[in-house]
Amino acid sequence: MAISPPTGSRTRVAVLVLASVTLVVVGLRDVGIVRDLREGAAEVVAPVERALGTVTSPFRNAWHGITDYEDVKRENDRLRAELAESEAAGIGRSDAEQQFADLSAALDLPFAGDLPTVTARVVSGPRSNFSHAVEIDKGTDDGVAVGMPAAAGGGLVGRVTQATAGTARIDLITDPEFRVGVRLAEGGALGTARGQGRGEPLAVDTSINPRTEVADGTGVVTSGVDRSAYPPGIPVGTVAEVREGSGGLALELVVTPLVEADQLSYVTVLQWQPE
Amino acid sequence: MRPRRWIPLRAALVVLAALLLQVSLAADLRVAGAIGDLVLVVVVAAALTGGADRGATYGFAAGLLYDLVVDTPFGLTPLTYALVGYGVGLAGAAIQRTSGWWPLAVAGLAGAAHATLYTSLGNLVGVAYPFDDLPAIALVVAAGAALAIVPAMRALWWVHGHDEPDRLEVMFR
Repeated sequence: MAISPPTGSRTRVAVLVLASVTLVVVGLRDVGIVRDLREGAAEVVAPVERALGTVTSPFRNAWHGITDYEDVKRENDRLRAELAESEAAGIGRSDAEQQFADLSAALDLPFAGDLPTVTARVVSGPRSNFSHAVEIDKGTDDGVAVGMPAAAGGGLVGRVTQATAGTARIDLITDPEFRVGVRLAEGGALGTARGQGRGEPLAVDTSINPRTEVADGTGVVTSGVDRSAYPPGIPVGTVAEVREGSGGLALELVVTPLVEADQLSYVTVLQWQPE
Repeated sequence: MRPRRWIPLRAALVVLAALLLQVSLAADLRVAGAIGDLVLVVVVAAALTGGADRGATYGFAAGLLYDLVVDTPFGLTPLTYALVGYGVGLAGAAIQRTSGWWPLAVAGLAGAAHATLYTSLGNLVGVAYPFDDLPAIALVVAAGAALAIVPAMRALWWVHGHDEPDRLEVMFR
């Protein structure tokens, strides 16, 4: 059968497509009205979502019991091993942290470890296949504000991009639009880390000469350079792979985040905002 | 036939219910890292039961609401939903008599098509959604859409009435 929609139908879909494209262009410029509308929607949806979440939790728990059992077992074994290693390395690390805090104080930089924090529960994971944000149960009433970094398990997980009175949204480091200035813990070389999607490592563009040796396992922390969106010294991850960047003029690093951003239950919001 | 004045209210109820179920339930049920898309299912059901025009209109409106509660580029979901709704409406009109189970197949294809369209257009506007994730997302969205399309079509008949041929009856005949 031939497909021939009426002319009016084509006009309507053309208008809708044009309106959508206009919204995309407007939305990409991060205009205030879109932000306000999204904040308003978050205020309305949050209580309904919480109520529905309570009602549906037995079903969700059953689902996770079935689908996540093996993962949880593996995770448990891995965490036991990591805990043993962490205890052994604890003394050395506390010394390094002290040195870093002293250096930050000397340079008049805030040290992430000294910042006041707000601990929040993750109430909703990414809401679509293309979303890389989680919702938390603390908002402006609790001292959470847009721009504050969020950490979990000692590592950076994202940044607050929306905050209402009782809730906030955190864009995760896995978001392809996420960028953070970083520094190598050894050597101090600077770079920019970017998200590459769910379950993927971070890619770090650097200006490091390709002949330079960067060891696998080297720590990566936020750089906190001038006008940075993050304070210095928040651990981000460890180098998993070193390769030549496009053009072969500098190294690109593949960095495994310290925290699996997709499996968060609680986060710590650092009460620090860029100047 | 339904009194026309109740149709917008019923339509809003169905779309809102799908959206709330999506964010409070479906978003937590991941398979291979991907989730189903109940809002898209409503759009596909609107297109299958009411044609291309209705599919595009539902797609735009539902996409707009969805974009208010996610962090993705604003406007991208109404654009892709409207295009998929329109396409499904045309396809539904063309192939409805070829198979008794066509709504399930069309819904599955629409789910996969939407995932592909969204990833491609996202990259076009500068968001580097990884194409590596696409097979899993397309498969899960397609399977979810095929599973949920029949109740969604029932909901759309509740909204708009049965003034058109009952395609669900045709399907199970």
